[in-house]
Amino acid sequence: MFHTTFYVRRLHSLCGLFVLGMVLFEHIFTNSMAILGPEALNGALEMMELIPKPIFMGLEVGGIAVPLLFHALYGIYIACQANNNPGRFGYIRNWNFALQRWTAWFLVPFLIWHVGYLRFYTKGVTGTPISWELLYNYFQNPLVVVLYVLGMFAAIFHFSNGITTFCMTWGITKGPRSQNVISVISMCLCAVLCLITLVFMGSYLVR
Amino acid sequence: MAEKKVRFVIERQDSANDKPYIQEFDVDYRPGLNVVAALMEIQKNPVTVDGKRVPPVVWECNCLEKVCGACMMVINGKARQACCALVDEIDQPIKLQPARTFPVIRDLLIDRTRMFEALKKIQGWIELDGSFESKDAPIQNPYTAQTAYEISHCMTCGCCLEACPNVGPQSDFIGPAPTVQAYLFNLHPLGKFDAPKRLNALMEKGGITSCGNSQNCVEVCPKSIKLTTYLAQLNRDVNIQALKNIFDN
Repeated sequence: MFHTTFYVRRLHSLCGLFVLGMVLFEHIFTNSMAILGPEALNGALEMMELIPKPIFMGLEVGGIAVPLLFHALYGIYIACQANNNPGRFGYIRNWNFALQRWTAWFLVPFLIWHVGYLRFYTKGVTGTPISWELLYNYFQNPLVVVLYVLGMFAAIFHFSNGITTFCMTWGITKGPRSQNVISVISMCLCAVLCLITLVFMGSYLVR
Repeated sequence: MAEKKVRFVIERQDSANDKPYIQEFDVDYRPGLNVVAALMEIQKNPVTVDGKRVPPVVWECNCLEKVCGACMMVINGKARQACCALVDEIDQPIKLQPARTFPVIRDLLIDRTRMFEALKKIQGWIELDGSFESKDAPIQNPYTAQTAYEISHCMTCGCCLEACPNVGPQSDFIGPAPTVQAYLFNLHPLGKFDAPKRLNALMEKGGITSCGNSQNCVEVCPKSIKLTTYLAQLNRDVNIQALKNIFDN
């Protein structure tokens, strides 16, 4: 008995919360530098360029590409097993269950676009380094801004609700009280991260 | 004065493979009327509101006191027992549908075999080979007896499976009720010897890993069993069992 389903599902949970959670935090942290101005963001981006290329590539492949592909592909398989029914059973946790899947469905095309355009095309093919100026020009298109804000909100909600369900899946929070406490904390985190996102995205518009 | 009537909108189906259709019936109101009693009235005089005489509506019921689980159906969109669905307490017209998470046999009658099959998978019984005298039978742990009593109320009605978004033809999840039964038998002073067997069964495809934490099960359980609490406990137990499986050899 190898219990492949069990281990793959648990790996999906771990990789989503810790590895992709780190990626999300890194994105929010670095991008929030834009609030302080173009120099601060460019400084943060140049700091990352100081990491030796092979290590940086290793981090990108091992820390982002592989976990993201695994989490997305197995996640699609999981999402296909759900018959979302918040219309019939409108309890808050069931709404979160459905939103967890709907945000995921939005994130799949969004991330293909985001990674494909900025990482593979802009940075990879044209060799243009990512900078405040590049993003400023990119965000002149209001549709791009709206889609990016929605993409961030989707990722942040998916991560925050993921904390709550992670604690249930791993048997950390057992009773309804502790599950509610974690749920409230993670939704507060969700609100704070969304607010930070709005501020740094807005900082491009006011300049 | 015209007698007060209660309107029933019933989703019917002539056989497992026929298309469902809707028929409406009026039943004379009386105080304390419940859905099963109303279905019995329709059975006595199966005439639709259009005055058409039709075959009586088929459904299942036994105990009429929320103990057997047989009369579970979808009433006004919610999975619940028909016997304790009082007409005075629900919106009218009353809409009755079969619980389509299960195969429909006819009208409101469903086939609940999958729950029995699931109980077989998780070994929902205690092995007794008669090798000891019953006078020395081990006692229940008084600290967990209350929990065991609570879970033993499960009547495999299937409300939780109907409400669970992860149970259905698109998934192989055995459902909350049979999963939580594993915990009941793991608490038993003799059943606990087979706990690793049950936990390993729950680690299989369609076991506890298919739970998506929507928590609908605990909301709809007519016996108020704290299903999500025991699912989290079982999650803990299977994680420990997984570590044992990896490191014990």
